[in-house]
Amino acid sequence: MKGDKKYIVLFLLPAALLMSTFVYYPFLRSVYLSLFRTSGFFSKTYVGFDNYTRMFSDDMIRAATLHTLEIMLYVIVFQVGFALILAVLVDNIRWGKGFYRTVFFFPIVISGAAISLLFVLIYNYQFGMLNGALAKFGFEKILWLSETGSLKAIAVPTVWHYIGFYFVLFLTAMSKIPSDFYEAAKLEGITGFKKTIYLTIPLIISDIKVVLILAITGTLKVFDFVWILARGQNGTEVLGTYMYKKAIVDLNFGYGSAIAVYIVVFGVLLSVITNRLLKKEEVTY
Amino acid sequence: MIKSSKVLIALSLVMLMILSACGGNNNGGNNGNNGNTGTTETTTEPTETTTEPEPEPVKEAEPVKLRVFSTFGGTDPAREAFQKVLDEFTAAHPNVTIDNEVMSANDDGFRTKVSTDLNSGNEPDILFYFTGADADDMIKAGKVVPMDDLLAADAEWKGGLIPSALEAVRHTDGKIYGIPLTGYYEGLFVNKALFEKYSLELPTDWEKFKTAVKTFADNGVIPLSGPFDQSHYIIEHFVLGAAGSAGQAKGLIDGVDPNWEKGYAAMKEIYDLGGFPKDAGTIDLTMAGNYYSQGLAAMVLEGSWALGGWDQKVKDTTTVFPFPAIPGGAGTGKDVVGGFGSGFYLSKKAFDDAAKKDTALALLKHLTTPASIQAIAQVNGGSPAADVEITGLPQAALDGFKMVAESTSINSPIDSKVHKETFTTLRANVAKVVKGDITPAEALAEAQKVEVTNKQ
Repeated sequence: MKGDKKYIVLFLLPAALLMSTFVYYPFLRSVYLSLFRTSGFFSKTYVGFDNYTRMFSDDMIRAATLHTLEIMLYVIVFQVGFALILAVLVDNIRWGKGFYRTVFFFPIVISGAAISLLFVLIYNYQFGMLNGALAKFGFEKILWLSETGSLKAIAVPTVWHYIGFYFVLFLTAMSKIPSDFYEAAKLEGITGFKKTIYLTIPLIISDIKVVLILAITGTLKVFDFVWILARGQNGTEVLGTYMYKKAIVDLNFGYGSAIAVYIVVFGVLLSVITNRLLKKEEVTY
Repeated sequence: MIKSSKVLIALSLVMLMILSACGGNNNGGNNGNNGNTGTTETTTEPTETTTEPEPEPVKEAEPVKLRVFSTFGGTDPAREAFQKVLDEFTAAHPNVTIDNEVMSANDDGFRTKVSTDLNSGNEPDILFYFTGADADDMIKAGKVVPMDDLLAADAEWKGGLIPSALEAVRHTDGKIYGIPLTGYYEGLFVNKALFEKYSLELPTDWEKFKTAVKTFADNGVIPLSGPFDQSHYIIEHFVLGAAGSAGQAKGLIDGVDPNWEKGYAAMKEIYDLGGFPKDAGTIDLTMAGNYYSQGLAAMVLEGSWALGGWDQKVKDTTTVFPFPAIPGGAGTGKDVVGGFGSGFYLSKKAFDDAAKKDTALALLKHLTTPASIQAIAQVNGGSPAADVEITGLPQAALDGFKMVAESTSINSPIDSKVHKETFTTLRANVAKVVKGDITPAEALAEAQKVEVTNKQ
């Protein structure tokens, strides 16, 4: 046991070093910066908790939080939902699993910025693909990125981009379920839909929990789709884009850092809540 | 044995998948770059590519590597001309390698990149950047070298530059830091063909402008192309058209000039007439420019540099006007935004580096010789900072110079006078005002508050 300690330290060290350099140090630095008013990196004045009090009276923060939560809802319902449905479907087929796995996983390897640019051309009012098709059939053009519809329009590529990732996680979890469970179910006459609801899903509940937490925290990072498709206009400002605007566009790193700290706290809170809500005995096979 | 071979095959398949996934990712990234939303790119020009050395004898010199950071890249019309100017220098000085690093000035990240570089000891040796309020911080921090003494010491260099251009870039502390290259103007670019098609009078005053907006909107042509988020030019022109030169120059620090509110109210008036693109809320400047250059929009508020990026057909049918005066305001209808708003800076770090100092200064001088200025002005449609003749310009560019010559005032833009955050607040409030969510007075009061907080 004593000899192990050396190895424990040895194996933890690289990860610990990387994490502290690229995660913990920048985070602490953000906390520190959030106490200043800054002008680029040139000057900073200590202002105490001014940035945080400003945040409480900032309407944009409230709106951005709500927009983030709205996207989160779409992500949980559609992204995780579709991923689960697809995984169940693919798990039940006899051959071609590998093909579908690759096809469904494929969008993930395309960068978000590229997908966004693709959707800029799909949604564009003047010469976008959708309006082009509508015009061909003699319909009125539709403003896809309208004041009320922008966030939903942006949610489409956001949801689609990551379905494959959760799909693969679900599929892997399902393949871990021992086949004698299914054999026993078969003998009892439980097949099809019932099998999925009463057997498969309860057996992968811990994976669903992980996926939900990943999806929720992942939504806090949504940036590229909103930025490239709508620049945060028309009711699409999310926490990520607002932080970027304040820190990078306005060069107000102090307020930007305060928003970043808020995003972290908000994210931790959300994952704690999710964990609580989904508290259930772990399944062991 | 069989088992492990299966494992191996599986492993190699996984590797193959990962590798092909990486390949796909790269493609995606490249696609993203094509949008030119401001990724930095570096083109290193090694000395080997130099073809003919200049006739003057070249001494055996230590190799020097210089980094130049500018906006002459991506879709900038002067990109090739600038690279050629750099190549001339490396041809004459084979010991010098130049790192030509560029980023689009349209990109919001441009200023951050400069701020980060200057403060992390990664400053470029020569920097092309804005003059005015944007340069305030780096000048105060002593990151760039004042040029007055250097200019005075080299009569030939100084003589090549127009004195009024040098005066235009003089900082508020009375010194010159950035050496100007080309000047610019902003204005209302108009598609004459579309005006003829609908038998409209050109928008020389507010009533004619409004009639044109109405007619175009009724006929499904975008009257005035412009985005609400990157609404720089909309703000500049509507405020100048309403507040006039003196009112615009006041900025926001001492309260809100009521004429500024008239400018914002005029934006709403034009919006209510259907004056802006339907998707103005979500498009960016590039897309707004596309609408104009593809003939979908009849007018666009742009800068002189836009001309260089348009096809010959678009240039031929374009003319430019000052934005009309808004009734009840202080504008003359001949006020123009323009001047010399950027220049080449020499970093203090390069100046203090004995190995680099002379070469960096020589490069700076080379970049601002009349010949170099001529080469750049020829392609970007700006007015040269040296007394050189620009030939073969499209009529639209000549119209632009005439507009500047006949103007009652040439004004530096608002965003060179107010704090960055103030200007973003002004920008963010354009959409809210035109849609009627807030009043012009509320919009400007909010921006004024931000200005005061930031300049305390």
